[in-house]
Amino acid sequence: MAEKVKLFVNGQEVEVEAGKNLIDAFGAIGIEIPHLCYHPALGADGNCRMCLVGIEDGRPPLVPACKTKVAEGMKVQLDAEKIKKIQRDIMELELINHPIDCPICDQAGECKLQDYYMKYDGQPSRMTVKPVLKAKKMDFGCGVVHDQERCVLCARCVRFTRLITKTGELGIVNRTDAARVNIFPGRPLNNRYALNVVDLCPVGAMTSRDFRFKQRAWFLTKSPSICHGCSKGCNIFIDHNREKYKDDVIYRYRPRLNEKVNGYFMCDEGRMTYKLENDNRLGTPRVNGREAGFDEAIESVRRAVSEAKKAVVLISPNASLEQMFAAQQFAAAINAPVSGYSDGYVKAGDGDDFLIKDDKSANRASFALLGIDDSKTAFEAALNGADLLLSFDNDLSRSLSGDALTQLLADTKLIMVASSQTDCVAKAAVAVPVASYSEDAGSLVNCDGRLQSYEVAVVKNQPAKSLIEVLHLCGGEIKSNQEARAGLQAAVAVLKDIDLEQIPAEGIALTESEVAHVAA
Amino acid sequence: MQVQVLSARFDIPDANKIEIAKEHGAYATLDKVFAMQPEEIIEVVKASGLRGRGGAGFPTGLKWSFLPKNIDKPVYLAVNSDESEPATFKDRFILVRDPHMLIEGIIICCYAIKSHAAYIYIRGEYTTQVKVLQAAIDEAYAAGYLGDSVAGHDYKLDVTVHRGAGAYVCGEETALLESIEGRKGQPRSKPPFPAVEGLYGCPTIINNVQSIASLPFILTNGADAYKAYGTEKSPGTHLFGISGLVKKPGMYELPLGLPLLEVIDKVAGGVRDGRTLKGVIPGGSSTPVLTPEEAQTVTLDYESMAAHKTMFGSGGIVVLDDTVDMVKLVENLIYFYHHESCGQCTPCREGLGWMLKIVRKIIRGEGTTADIDLLTELCDNIEMKTVCVLSAACTMSTRSYLNKFRHEFEAYVAGGAPAQAAM
Repeated sequence: MAEKVKLFVNGQEVEVEAGKNLIDAFGAIGIEIPHLCYHPALGADGNCRMCLVGIEDGRPPLVPACKTKVAEGMKVQLDAEKIKKIQRDIMELELINHPIDCPICDQAGECKLQDYYMKYDGQPSRMTVKPVLKAKKMDFGCGVVHDQERCVLCARCVRFTRLITKTGELGIVNRTDAARVNIFPGRPLNNRYALNVVDLCPVGAMTSRDFRFKQRAWFLTKSPSICHGCSKGCNIFIDHNREKYKDDVIYRYRPRLNEKVNGYFMCDEGRMTYKLENDNRLGTPRVNGREAGFDEAIESVRRAVSEAKKAVVLISPNASLEQMFAAQQFAAAINAPVSGYSDGYVKAGDGDDFLIKDDKSANRASFALLGIDDSKTAFEAALNGADLLLSFDNDLSRSLSGDALTQLLADTKLIMVASSQTDCVAKAAVAVPVASYSEDAGSLVNCDGRLQSYEVAVVKNQPAKSLIEVLHLCGGEIKSNQEARAGLQAAVAVLKDIDLEQIPAEGIALTESEVAHVAA
Repeated sequence: MQVQVLSARFDIPDANKIEIAKEHGAYATLDKVFAMQPEEIIEVVKASGLRGRGGAGFPTGLKWSFLPKNIDKPVYLAVNSDESEPATFKDRFILVRDPHMLIEGIIICCYAIKSHAAYIYIRGEYTTQVKVLQAAIDEAYAAGYLGDSVAGHDYKLDVTVHRGAGAYVCGEETALLESIEGRKGQPRSKPPFPAVEGLYGCPTIINNVQSIASLPFILTNGADAYKAYGTEKSPGTHLFGISGLVKKPGMYELPLGLPLLEVIDKVAGGVRDGRTLKGVIPGGSSTPVLTPEEAQTVTLDYESMAAHKTMFGSGGIVVLDDTVDMVKLVENLIYFYHHESCGQCTPCREGLGWMLKIVRKIIRGEGTTADIDLLTELCDNIEMKTVCVLSAACTMSTRSYLNKFRHEFEAYVAGGAPAQAAM
């Protein structure tokens, strides 16, 4: 456990973690100190002055909480009238030149200025002179749109490009109330994490071109999940909404804090993978090129399986651990070899040393855990003499060229159980739609061997069946995630002591020490 | 009344040249200095009672003693030659008339604080001054007073001139350091203080030009000789810049402690004939204004100024007579500080601009009594909530005009310019 110190807030003794600043230490025990410029990932800058707190018997008596470390016996005043007045005064000054265009601002509903106004200010405006006018809807590149008038100059975005991406595209130019965030002429944002500045911005100054004007923040359901854009497994919020008379649609992904995986951030490509969940989905089952009913499609699969001399099961590296296990069990039941071949999901050399990985699939590590071979040679060996290939959401067209795929399908029947429309689905004899991860729950093991889980986020008007259900309908034994988890615990030694129903928020590293720790 | 301690060589032709300066005593005290231990020098400076001449008046020797002991990092000296407070024009005389006095002072200070690198941060507008100063530094290098072996002693010292780009805020000591390091001149939050973590993260002493230039006299003649001038708590002499509506504006060296009005009358010739005194800005534009009544009793030293709820500041005295429109003076004042705000922190960035617009509204005749009250309240709301004291420089002075000359603001609100003598 972390070391603790005892100190006083408003005369009340509290115990907080040592070594932290007042904002973080008090935040952890539910005491808010308002702040705009401080961000745990970017450090203290001390420019907004919202977090000024009183220190009794202190020198100086007034300090920015972001720059002040907790100390044993310290007497911190948060509720003194003096401090409340400072918060009111700073909010007034933040707002005098702010356009207060909340009705047309994307940030409304999740805006620190709004929240703090309601909580710490609430006074009518005394501004009777003309406000400072600045530039609006500036294209900063990478899909970031900037509004200088809404900006509070907290410099979080500037510090992000300097400290995190180390690309330094943003700066504050000019001084006094003409100071503004800007790019250098002709040098827009140019990094793969740029959209994080939209999340970091405490106000509506940084907006995403992709998300602008699509939804009001308060209509969005914010469901925790895991990004499937690559093998890093960044923790995300899936922000989705079912508008009246419409379907449940995802509007954006946002990074969700997990210090053990992605910290506060995610990459732009991963962020945009929400579109794959909305668009180009496989809706209607197809049998021999024509649309078919779901039962008919399942019947076709069962018949194909029973008629096949040799079937091969191909699993997607994006499938959950539970799905992989269920597919493996299904394959054993029908005597089919299992492959995880998916070379096309790997983009060699694309990764970086931060969050982006070469492997654009979310759960390849589980192949190793379950002993599923994903090599090309094993796949080709399995196909030898096979007349049926059952692919569970593995898009072979990513791994094989068009010619190679056509050649393979010349004497092998392809059945695709798939969430999206792909070339492969178009060429399949039978195509069965299945839920994608945003509509399903499951567990993943990321590139660093960390086991994480996600829950159902989106519920479509006409939900597709989960992969495990489809496997069961096709003759598989396992009916649910619960059953798969029980089976996994029995079959996989490293999972023996892990409660797969209750994976902690930060996940579990599948190393002996951490597994033992969680089990204890 | 005038004395010649710092200005002893000011009137000697070509005293900026090293031969002339040496003929008149420059660098003569160095042998004595190097025979002493650094700690002894600090003790002498402490004993002299020398206070920082940049405006805050912090005891110089005490400041040096804040350097951490047993440090494994280099120590730097930064000489603040930004001299950008309006009405202040003292350091420029040292830079042009007697730069070798400054260099000698730098050598003494660096030896005392065990520093081998000094930076002189000079304001960008001082084009002539920087040329003269650089020439003097070049001469000092050539003559062996700077470089690997200072005056033949086993002591290395390099002096670098760094030119500012014209920002008032770079006179703030940590903004000055940021500027030397090549960044935007914005004050740092303190702590850490520069004596612990200053230039390039190393312990740094920042002193004003005049403070450093006072060292050769103190080391040559001893602390007592220096304390013979001035008062007990404000010893020594000061270069006063007297400007405004007086007959003989100019730079005068005076001992501290003289009565303000006597100095205005006898040294600067008094206000113009037929005019009466309306107020005095005692030490640069940021210091609260004194009314004629207050000016009666105040003397030119730190303690008397503090007792009169103003500050000694930089010694830049501005005399205001009855033709001065105090509201327009305040507009000019706020305009300056607003323009010079670095824009880093909220109260100063947003607040000073708001204050400027309000005072302009009052001048346009569109103001109300509520605007005067708001202006007064904003002074309180902004002051001391900021990273540095730039905003306080604006609000402390503005508040003094609002309190002492409120009737002039009210006259604007009531309609038209206030009653005042015709220009």
